Amino acid sequence: MKRSVIIVKNIQKVYGEKRGNPSHALKGISFSMDEGEFVGVMGPSGSGKTTLLNVISTLDHATDGLVEIAGTNITKMRQSELADFRSKKLGFIFQDFNLLENLSIYENIALPLSLQGVSSNKIGTKVEKVTKMLRISDILSKYPSEVSGGQKQRAAAARAIVHDPAIILADEPTGALDSKNAASLLETVANLNEEQGTSILMVTHDAYSASYCKRILFIQDGELYKEIHRIQMPRHVFYKEILGVLAELGTKKR
Amino acid sequence: MLFKLSITGLKGKLKDYIVLLVGLVLSISIFYMFQTLASNKEFLEANATIKSIGYVFQVGSFLLAIITFFYVFYANSFLMSLRQKEFGMYMLLGAKKYKVAFIMFIETILIGVTSLAIGIASGIGLSQGIGHLLMKQLNFTASGYRALYVPSITVTCIFFVGLFILSALLNSMKLARMTVLELVYGNTYADSSVIKGKMTGIIAFISIILLGIGYASMIFMDVLKEAGITIAMLSTTAGTYLFFESVFPLFVKKLKENKTHNEKGINAFTFAQLKFRINGLTKVLATVAMLIALGAGAISGGMAFKNNVIKSADKFEIYDTVIYNPTAEEMKILNDIPFKDKNEYRYKADDQYIYYLKAELEKNRPFIYVENGGKYTGKLKRVSEDLPLGAVSNDGQEMDKNTKVIPDEWVTALRRIQPSYLDYLDKTIKIVDIKMYNELQGKEGLVFIGKTDDFAAHTQEWKKLDELQLEKYKHIDADDMLSKYKIYNEFYTVSSGTVFMGFFLGIAFLAMMASCLMFKILSGATADKTRYDMLRKIGVRHELLTKSIYKEFFLIFLCPAIVGIAHVLIGMNIFGLIVIDPYFRIWLPICIFLVIYTIYYMITVQLYKGIVLPKIR
Repeated sequence: MKRSVIIVKNIQKVYGEKRGNPSHALKGISFSMDEGEFVGVMGPSGSGKTTLLNVISTLDHATDGLVEIAGTNITKMRQSELADFRSKKLGFIFQDFNLLENLSIYENIALPLSLQGVSSNKIGTKVEKVTKMLRISDILSKYPSEVSGGQKQRAAAARAIVHDPAIILADEPTGALDSKNAASLLETVANLNEEQGTSILMVTHDAYSASYCKRILFIQDGELYKEIHRIQMPRHVFYKEILGVLAELGTKKR
Repeated sequence: MLFKLSITGLKGKLKDYIVLLVGLVLSISIFYMFQTLASNKEFLEANATIKSIGYVFQVGSFLLAIITFFYVFYANSFLMSLRQKEFGMYMLLGAKKYKVAFIMFIETILIGVTSLAIGIASGIGLSQGIGHLLMKQLNFTASGYRALYVPSITVTCIFFVGLFILSALLNSMKLARMTVLELVYGNTYADSSVIKGKMTGIIAFISIILLGIGYASMIFMDVLKEAGITIAMLSTTAGTYLFFESVFPLFVKKLKENKTHNEKGINAFTFAQLKFRINGLTKVLATVAMLIALGAGAISGGMAFKNNVIKSADKFEIYDTVIYNPTAEEMKILNDIPFKDKNEYRYKADDQYIYYLKAELEKNRPFIYVENGGKYTGKLKRVSEDLPLGAVSNDGQEMDKNTKVIPDEWVTALRRIQPSYLDYLDKTIKIVDIKMYNELQGKEGLVFIGKTDDFAAHTQEWKKLDELQLEKYKHIDADDMLSKYKIYNEFYTVSSGTVFMGFFLGIAFLAMMASCLMFKILSGATADKTRYDMLRKIGVRHELLTKSIYKEFFLIFLCPAIVGIAHVLIGMNIFGLIVIDPYFRIWLPICIFLVIYTIYYMITVQLYKGIVLPKIR
């Protein structure tokens, strides 16, 4: 049996509790994710998918419930422990890349390793390996403002995997890319998952992006609405199935 | 419509505008403060010990004008960066370029006029406040000094209106030259150094030569005189700006090139932050170094004049007090003073001689000055010569061949313990032994001499003693009583005008330095926020971010401090023309400056942290 990389039990997130007008962003979601899975989280705007990701990524606190990542309960950790946890166990890919524009691409990718005190030599080999895999070896000395959006996102992906995190968390990674670059990035991410066995949790509202996943969780109004699996199914068929569920979500809402 | 829009935009960035306005107001009030001294000839002539003080102030005005020019110029390019994205957006939506450029022009002028009005008002307030505070502290009345001085207002207004018109024109020209895209995607690019490659090395070389010329002309000030001041000012200023333009970027580049060091922890980011804004920094850091040099220099100069009072008084009198036949009341005061060296000598006087005891004098030998080829050295030694028994002082009277003469050192020493205002003691001195002394008929007396470590610390006591002396010797006029306190007081009165100027300007320059660096750092803080946010997201500990900020600012603060203090240490030579020892206790103003600077470093880091780092829950 595979080990669980994420276990989420009955988490709640309430905003504005003190002001007496609470709004429930998450109303008791539970799910788990195994090592090596590629899971998508979908849902309309305001459904709570970004809040869910923020809670899992330790950037936000859950009001109630349990979150366990790679066997560690993160709901009880202090700020500095959380920071260390993020730097070691998590890899992030954001919609707006979040590269530091004052560092070269190489330095950006090397940063997570530098933070863990890895020696300069090892950093070099490691960065070389991931950048080769992501086909960005030739832009390492450039600055983010000098490369294209697609290259930036690849660099961000390289930064996310360079320190072998337990899981990669991606928030709308294709949101700022054109369709060609988006497709290319998704191929890369899917390859990472298949060939390296990297666990990936991706939040998206785009059905095309989601079709690369192996399992999709649909969220609506802060609750888990439905879960679908892609088993022995070509991607375009899975894509249709996703569109079906989304349509269902839409009608139900009305 | 566009005007309305731009006003709304202005409101949205109120915080940044306040930073901008405060910076400008400060620089204007400081310029004004300087002018209240510089343009007030009556005050300068009445209060300065230095004859060429007018010239010094002209040079100072010129330097301050250069610094202010860079400052205002920088502030306005900050204004531009605040607005350019918004203006780009207007153009994107179809606003005409000349109209947007015009708005930029008007806005710069408006900000200028507003800050000019507030700046002059607060300048008057500051001059009044600091002026009075210093006068009270120094116990001195600056005749002719006026906080509200119309010629200064005129000079300040003309200077700044000129500057603002110039920078308004430059801003709108810059805006007109940029494309819409450049405006909209303005400030995300890393600055690359203006001077590239080999040129940096050449410029660095030139800057060091210029600094060398400046330093040399300060060291050889006694040969070059006033020309030296001009050469020193021009080449040191130019050298400093070029130095920061070239050597500082080279330094950061070297820091970053060291791979092992760069890839350690968050260093890559820290150095990148430095490198990223190096261009904006170089000019500001050069300005800061100059302001440190001027500020710490002015305070050190002021202190040198203050110390000079003591030095000059010491040159006239070795012993802090010399009292004949102290009364009980006088003894009471004397007993409370911690003397480093005190002696009592008995004497007897008759019509012809004043007699001292050989044994007493030789046991407690008094101090005299060490002279080097007849030149005053400021060092003391005890009289070392033998004192022949029966010797008399040679006062030009006819001498027997067999009469022994008191050696010169002893004569000097003995004259020093006889105050000139007690004319009944003005007799030939004769040295006797105890037996002869006891047989003498004359009236016996006692002289007390004492020296402390710090004359200035006991001025109240000296004053009281002088008053008691005047009571004791009714026939002496207060003006004739040349005690050390009296001499000290006279020197003090003469030089306190110069001391006042030194402290006043020192405070003004340091305040300007503070506003300059703080302004530069805080004005960029909002843009840095996203970067710190990203780092936090990928898991950099809060403490590590804090450490990075401390380190970055340490480097930023360190360089101008080193250069500035080097300028001061060399520049003190200028005062060597007027002051006995300009380096006396130089560590004191330097330490005061370092403490202020460190406090100011901490404040800047805290303010910056408050902007870029989220609060910990």
